[in-house]
Parts: sequence; C-alpha cells; structure tokens
Amino acid sequence: MNKNNIIAFLSVFAFFGSAMYFPYTTTPVKIKYPEYWPKPVYNFEKNPLTQEGIDLGRKLFYDPILSKDSSISCSNCHLSYTAFTHVDHKLSHGINDSIGNRNSPSLMNLAWHNSFMWDGAVSHLDFQALAPISHPAEMGENINNVILKLTKSTDYVKRFYQTFKDSAITGEYLLKAISQFELTLISCNSKYDSVMRKAANFTLQEENGYQLFKKECSSCHTEPFFTNGKFENNGIPLDSVLLDYGRYNITKNPNDSLKFKVPTLRNIEFSHPYMHDGRFKNLSEVLKHYTTKVFPSKTVSKHLANSISLSSNQKVDLTSFLLTLTDKNFLFNKKNAFPRKFYFPSTEKK
Amino acid sequence: MIGQLKILKWLFIFIFLANYSISIGQKATNDILINISTSVNTNDSLSIDKLKFYLSNFNLLKEGEIVWTEKKSYHLVDISKQKSQSFTFILLKSIEFDEVQFLLGTDSLTNTDGVMGGDLDPTKGMYWAWNSGYINFKLEGTSSPFPFEFHLGGYAPPFQTVQKIKLQTTNRNRLNIGLNITDFLNQIDLTKTHKIMSPGKEAQQLSILLSTLFSISE
Repeated sequence: MNKNNIIAFLSVFAFFGSAMYFPYTTTPVKIKYPEYWPKPVYNFEKNPLTQEGIDLGRKLFYDPILSKDSSISCSNCHLSYTAFTHVDHKLSHGINDSIGNRNSPSLMNLAWHNSFMWDGAVSHLDFQALAPISHPAEMGENINNVILKLTKSTDYVKRFYQTFKDSAITGEYLLKAISQFELTLISCNSKYDSVMRKAANFTLQEENGYQLFKKECSSCHTEPFFTNGKFENNGIPLDSVLLDYGRYNITKNPNDSLKFKVPTLRNIEFSHPYMHDGRFKNLSEVLKHYTTKVFPSKTVSKHLANSISLSSNQKVDLTSFLLTLTDKNFLFNKKNAFPRKFYFPSTEKK
Repeated sequence: MIGQLKILKWLFIFIFLANYSISIGQKATNDILINISTSVNTNDSLSIDKLKFYLSNFNLLKEGEIVWTEKKSYHLVDISKQKSQSFTFILLKSIEFDEVQFLLGTDSLTNTDGVMGGDLDPTKGMYWAWNSGYINFKLEGTSSPFPFEFHLGGYAPPFQTVQKIKLQTTNRNRLNIGLNITDFLNQIDLTKTHKIMSPGKEAQQLSILLSTLFSISE
C-alpha cells in the first residue's frame, strides 16, 4: 500500500459519505426581527426553521388539499395582501358555502403568541391548524385523510422527505411545516417601526395620535406587538344569534364570560371588519364604540371602567397614528404570497 | 506510513474482538416486560367499541426513591392493537425496585410543548382540535340501550385530569398491569352520565375514579 492507495481509499469513503448525506441537506433559516423586541416564545429548537420546511409550509398554506372537497385553503380566510385576514368578511367561510362563527384573525408575529384563536382554545402554534382543518364549517377534513392525500403527491412526498428526512408523512411533520411558514410572517417595517428606529418622524397629527394611543389604548394593545396577549371584555354586547361567550367556553370560569383575545393593531388599515364577529365595518365605528357605547357588565375590562372621551379632532389624530402601523413590506412581500412556482414550476420565469 | 497502517490494522482487529466479546459476554441489562391488560365483562347488553389511553412518565422505585426513569415515556394503549399493550424496559441488572409509578394521561408540559410524533402524533385521534390538549382516556361503547362516550382529558387548572398511579411489585422480569373497566362502568350511572367530551369537573372525577382501578398481578 502506498500513499496513492490511501488517497484512493479515502476518496471513495468521502464520495460515499457525501453521496449519503447530499439529499439530506437542508438550509437553516433564522427569523429576523428588531433587536429591541423580546425573544420569541416559540421554541425553535423543537422545530428548527429551514428553507425547505418554510417552502413546504407555504405550499400547504395555499393548498385546498387540506379541505374535505379540496375547495378551501388556509389562504381563503387568511389573504396575504390584507395581513392574512379575510378582508370585508365578517365571519369565516368554509366548505359547502358554510359560514363559521368568528371573524378570521390576522396572522403575524405568531412566534410571540402563547395562545391562539379568539378564545385562546389553542395553546400552541403547532396545533392551531388542526382546528380549521377539522371544523365542519371550515375545512371539514380529518388529518389522517389529509396525510393520505398528501402521500399520493410525489411533490409533497419529496418535500416532506427533504425537510424531515423521513419517508413517511406524519401529523407531526404536517403541523410543523405549516408552523414554519407561519413563523416567517413577521411585520416589523411599518412607519411606526421606522420612527422607533429613529429612521423617520411622525407628522404632528400622528404624534398627537400616538400620545392619545399611549394614554387610552396601550394597556391592552401593548407595544411592540400592539396586543398584551390577554383576554378582555371590551364592552361589546353579546350577539343574540351567535351567543358567543368567548374565553368562558374554554375555561368554564364565569369571570371569563365575554372575554376575547386582544387582537394586534398592526396593519389594522387592512384587517377590517373588526372584533371577533366582525361587527364593526371601519375604524370610526370602533372609536365610536370605545367612546360612547361600552356595554357595562361584570367582566368588562377594568381599563374601560371610565369611558374614553375623544373629540372629533382627537379621533382623526388617533386614526392617523393607527395608519402608521401599516407595513407594506409585509403586506406585499412576495415571499408570503401564493407560491405559483411550487404549483406550476414550468411557468416560472428563469 | 507502513507503521501507521499496522496500527490501523490492529485497531480494526481490536474493535472486532471487542464487539464479539460483548455479544457473547454476560448481558449487563435486564429486560422487563410490561403487559397492560384491561378487564371488562362484555355481554349481550354491554359492548366496547373503543378503548385507548395514555400511560406516561414511567418510574421504578426502591424504598420510595426513584431508581430508574424511562426516557420519552409515552405509551398509547389501544385494546384493538395487541402490540400497544406490551413494551419493554431495559435497565441495568444492578437496579433493584419494589414499586412502579406512572401517569394515566399526559402531563401539562406535553400538552403545551408543541406537536410531537410517535404515540403523541395528533393523527392518533387522541388530540382535541378545538380545545387544545390530549385526550388522556377514551372509552366508547354501548350499554344497551345507552351508547356511551367518555373522552377524558384537560390539563389546565382547576380541571387537570392526569393521574399518578403507584403500584407495589416483587416481580423482577414482568409487570402485569391491569385496569378494571367493569368496575369503572359499574360505578357510573350510565343513565345519567354517558357522554363526556370536554375538560371539566366530570372528566376530572372520572379520571380520579380510573386511577383507583389499576392493579398489578404477579
């Protein structure tokens, strides 16, 4: 044996070694967010983001294959151009033209949330997608059947394999992939954010609005996410048809009656109609509610104990501040939109 | 160069022999077979369609001290699947124990820690989509003329359902753990309580009842 033999021996080893590992390589991805934001609550160690996983999750998010009759995808009620909510629709829509009982919430900055849905029914982002998939008035499908359908698609089998290095598609992988895409939906480039980074200035009107916001709204809509993640009764009376008691349905605790999760105000310009049942069409109706129509009840938020009074000028100022929360980089980000190339690869321009 | 190759050759021979000696040598570990059985007297008026439950966080104890803990300890026992009713613990022979402890159900960390695979995969039909959390115990059947469905779960206070079970044992190689479903059904008034599908006080009470119906036979 001479030196050449050894080199030949080692290169054969190296060849087989790399050939074995080549199809397994994934591209790790780290989410980007402002350094002054707190650390995410989502545990990325248990579901490390990869480009392959995000792409897979994105394809699933836009694919009606998740629904019973292949008619409804996540994006039906969560449209990327309107902060991932169903703009202009009060209640969510599902298969067979069914109507749900809640207004679809916007989706962003989900890595910082530790409860999901208006009533906090879901305790972890990974499990959230199970709810709409199985709800009879949404996708009306069974997760086992979703997996059966995905297993028949060579593209999905390939993508799951590339992402999770396993030839089987499981419920765990399906939900983790959807989470991966959703975790990348980060809105942190509004005018407000630029002002916080000292890269822009509010107009006088916006500045007035910001001061009013901090005084009257921020105890629940807390910066930087514009929600404190808690459940509050904001004084909108019970809808006599929907009879939705919110958080009470989950905890069975009378102190939680009529409480709903405080929604973010980011991209509020695009997320109308407002409230858990979409009862307010526009921001002026919302401000009218908070200034004149808070319905007193046992569980109404203590922050609304004293009614908020705003002059019409102040309402205009507050609204102009709320519009600085619009993040066009997020709303029109192609990475969040329908991934045509994943469905019709041949139509993609080279 | 030649010298290095010789060392390499001896290294290979050493590894080969070492492997061989381990395989023929005395086994240093003890395999304990765990058998889970459920007893229920089905007859013309009583039939069981589904019986599935989680047993988790197995520990072995000696004089009250934990001496062995199973890693990733989750077992979904399903009476329609023979395989799910037995599993093996492999532990060092030197470990002695006189008690086995486990949970009926899953602890709250499991319920809030994100999606998991294996027996905890949500495709197993033991996860609630509209009120997050695992169903710890599922029993469906008919006690004519009443169909009954018990889906017991819930991890959030004050209605936690997970139960700790402690059983004394003298056997070293085999643990036959039994759950008496007949007693469970006998202690419920099926005319009043026959459908529990969400967390709450009733789910908690029935879980406590179940925890008293485990036994170990030698």
